Order: sequence, then structure tokens, then C-alpha cells
Amino acid sequence: MRSTFVRPSSWKGWLMLVAFISVIVAGIWPVVGWVNQAVLVLGLPKLLVWSYIVLMCCTLVMWLGNMLVGEGEHD
Amino acid sequence: MTSLLPLWITLSYIVIAMLIGLAARGGRAMNSLEEWGVAGRSMGPVTLYLLIAAGSVSAYTFMGAPGWAYAKGVPVLYVVIYLGYLALVAWYFGPKVWAFGAKFGHVTQASAIADRYQSPALGALASLVMSVGSIAYAVLQTIGSAYILLVMSGGAIPVWAGVLLVLVAIAIYLYVSGQRAIGKTNVFQGILMFAVAWIIGLGAAHHATGEWSFAAVFAEVQQRNPEFLVLPGGGGDMSFAFWTTSIIVSMLSFMPPVWTQWMSATSARTIRRSATLLPTYYLVILPMIVVGFIGIYSLPNLERADTVVLEYAMANLPVVLVGLLGAGTLAASMSSSEPFIHSVALSWSKDVLQPALKLSDGKAGQLARWLIVPIMAFIIAPLAIAEPGNLVMILLIGLGFASQVLPAFIGMFFWTGATAKGVFAGIVTGFLVTVALITLWPHPLGIHGGFWGLMINLPVFVIVSRLTAPVPADVVERFFRIAAPWQLSSHKAEGSPVAVHPGK
Repeated sequence: MRSTFVRPSSWKGWLMLVAFISVIVAGIWPVVGWVNQAVLVLGLPKLLVWSYIVLMCCTLVMWLGNMLVGEGEHD
Repeated sequence: MTSLLPLWITLSYIVIAMLIGLAARGGRAMNSLEEWGVAGRSMGPVTLYLLIAAGSVSAYTFMGAPGWAYAKGVPVLYVVIYLGYLALVAWYFGPKVWAFGAKFGHVTQASAIADRYQSPALGALASLVMSVGSIAYAVLQTIGSAYILLVMSGGAIPVWAGVLLVLVAIAIYLYVSGQRAIGKTNVFQGILMFAVAWIIGLGAAHHATGEWSFAAVFAEVQQRNPEFLVLPGGGGDMSFAFWTTSIIVSMLSFMPPVWTQWMSATSARTIRRSATLLPTYYLVILPMIVVGFIGIYSLPNLERADTVVLEYAMANLPVVLVGLLGAGTLAASMSSSEPFIHSVALSWSKDVLQPALKLSDGKAGQLARWLIVPIMAFIIAPLAIAEPGNLVMILLIGLGFASQVLPAFIGMFFWTGATAKGVFAGIVTGFLVTVALITLWPHPLGIHGGFWGLMINLPVFVIVSRLTAPVPADVVERFFRIAAPWQLSSHKAEGSPVAVHPGK
């Protein structure tokens, strides 16, 4: 079998890949460096608020994936 | 604190968990790997949600995370982010792993690896490497359980007795009901932990500030210790590099119990539904972190940061809440240790001893159940009683080792050209580098030792795979028809080249 790397096959797949990578990048350097300030937002540390935004974005991205590629499908 | 009520509440939790675990068997025969190992692939979305959530929320949430918040501040949030990423991992890989298990009969992660690479030796190696991380994790949780019993009993239940009590309880219901016990107890434990964490967090905030929100807590910290609100934190040791690489290493550590959980689902759809909502559960960590922040200014001289929530609760909260905290912490530690103990026993039987001793599936199933006893008695109990090192560092070491098996998964999901020798070379190299860069020269340049291991591991894996004989084409195709069916032409003859769609 010829050696090959898997990649998305449709615009929906590519969109999901971009969404996954974006949400992962949002939680690591350098992005966390941009929110790394000793200020409070809604009474909570900015980095804490950002961490939970990233967490909720994970759910949103997966929800989007369920809409686009189906809960039981592959892509 | 002299009341025995907290101890009785905590001990009652063990009794309830035992009853739930024993009842989970429901009259089924448990000597098959399929039933004891993956609960007959029967778990629905709610059970799976709480199974994965409770399994991933460990004693760390009630002890380690508040301890990090107390000692370092916001660096603790790396765990919130990586848990969210683990949900993404479950969403993408879970359905494929479930399909591998359902179609090819896999019950463990290492058996999938052995099948993909047609190498029982590689499966055994992956099983043993993963065991290091799994056992470290189980030891960590057992220490947490024993410590809770020590504190709740006012020292009457020493650590060694607490270790034995918790391990015996788990051994009994794990032996009797296997993965079904883990599923049912985790449902109970998951609900209990979430409720307890918020009750304790809000109660502590109200006691400390007079408010039922967390804002006043952080305003106080901002005024007194603003360095706790930014990286590298109060300890000055969580650099951006360590934050980032710890998250990446943790995310890429496909721990064996997680695979077992995925394979226990009723369907691929069940996994995606559960994974999508999984991040909502991790709100459980927030109130516990807040108690750690309260401790920064209200308990400034603690000897052991991990005890901040317990110390605060015992000094300031009603005894009923202290008892609930004991039960919640014990739930967190037991719900996380039992799947790891189960998966090590399952994998040693299926992937190490069965091929080595040429056992039948029936014998391997019986052996897996019995193996939990020596694993607990001769490995986990002695290590837990010895209480080695810092709890969080033990976890990071375990995850650092586990991430070295990544090449095996790349070959399973993304790259058809991966070979057994390539994976083998990558794992061994990465394992040795990780050992050296965690123990001898810890985390050079502030980068996690496991990440360094991966950086050496992956090129070795690719180069050796390029230079060695490929896995038979029919086997690779069998896997990629599930992992990436769009990569293959629909009616291709066996062994012919793969047709790659250029993208629609």
C-alpha cells in the first residue's frame, strides 16, 4: 500500500480542522501571553476567564462538527 | 475538629460505592474480556459522559489543583485547558476506536496497536510503556484516598490502612463487575463530585468574604499578591514554554482507560454526544481553585499546599460540609484509580501474557480479573504507602511516558506508511529521552521532558518507517477504511495502491 497522509476530503472537513487547530492555539503560547495580565474580568482573573472561554469553545467546535459532519460520521 | 461525623460520611461513601459496584454485574458472566473489559459495549451517552468525566476528574481536582492555585495561582488553569482538549480528542478519535473495537474485536488499546502493525511484541511494548503512566496515576489517586481517610479519622486510620481499605473495596467490585462497576460507580461519583465542589466552593467564598460569588476573593488576591494572577505564577516556575508543552503532552497522551471507555459505548454517535458536552463538566474545577486562592491570604503558612481545601474546610466550615468534602475527594480519587487499575490488568492479560503464554481468550479473561490483586498488592499499595514525591509531578511524569506511544496512533489514524519497527524505534527512543529529561536533567529550557521525548521520537519513527518493510496492505486498508474511508477508493482490489481523493 502506498504511503500517504490522511487529510480532510471536503470543505466541511477542512473547516473542522481549522476550528480544532484554532481552539487549540487559543489555549497555548503565544495566545495565552496576550491575555496574561493581572486584571479582573467580571471579578475573575483574565486568564481564568480565558481558560473557560477556551473550554466552552471546545464544546462549540464539537457541536459545529456534529452539525457539519454528523455525530456518527467520520471526517 | 473532634466530630466523627465527617469520617462516617466519608466511610458511608465507600459502602455506597461498593453496593453500586457489586450490583452493576446484574447476573452477567464476567469471565470474558468483552464483558469484564468493555461492559459488552453497552454504555449510553449519559453514563459515558459521567464515566469519562469522573474518570478524568481525579483527586487532583480536590487536592492538587487547589494546591497549585495556593502555591502558584493561575498556572493551575493548564489543567482546565487540557481537559477541554481531551474532549476534542474523544470526539475525533473515539468513534474510530469504537469502530475498530466493534469490527475487529479489540478490547484494549495495545491490542489495536498489535493488530494494526501485526506485531504482538509491539502491542506488549505499548502495553508496558503505558502501564508506567497508568500505575503512576493509580498510585497518585490511592495516596489521595488514604490521605483523606487519615485526615477525616483524625489520624486513627493511618496511610497504610487507608491504602488497604480503599484498594480492597475497589478490588472487590472491580473483580465482580469489571467495567460495568466502573461505569455505574462513576455516574454516582461524578454527580457527587460536582455537587460537593460547588457547595464547598461557594460556602468557602461566603465564609471568607460574606458574598456568594468569587469576585471578592480575587479582588483580595489582586491587591495582596497580583503575581498569582499571571504566568509564571506565585512560584515563578510556570513559564509559557512549560504551560504549552504540558498541555500538548497531556493532550497527546492517549491513556488506555480512555480507549476502554470509548470501546464501552453503545455506538460511535454515543461517544460524539458525550464528548460534545464533556467540557461543561469541568466547571467542577473552578470552585476548588477558588478555595486555593482563598488560602493564599487566609492560610499563608501551610506546610503542604495539597491540603489547602481540607485545612480551610476543617477550620471554617460546618462538619457536614467537611464530611461531604471527604466523600467528594474520595469519590474523585477512587473514580480515577479504578479505571487505570482495570486497564492495566486487562492489557497485561490480553497484550502481554496471552501472546507470551499462548492463552485462550477465556483464560485471558479469567486472568485479567485475578491480575488486579497482585497489581494492587505488589505495586500500587507499596508505592502508595511510600508516598513518593510531589503529586502533580508524578502525574506529569506518567503523561510524559504515555505520550511516547503517539507514533502508534499516527500510524493508525493518519499515516498509512507507519511500520512496526518505526513505531518501536520511536517509542524506545522517546521513552529513554523522557526518562533522562525528567529525572536527570529536568525539563531543559523550561520545556516538558515528555515533549523533548516526542521531538526525538517522531523523526526516528518516520525515518525508521521509511527504511523498513511496510505492514501488509490488506491490514492497513482494513484500518483506514474506518479511520479515513475517504482516502481509499471504494472498490479497490486488495493490495493495490491507495487512491487518494484530491479533495472536493
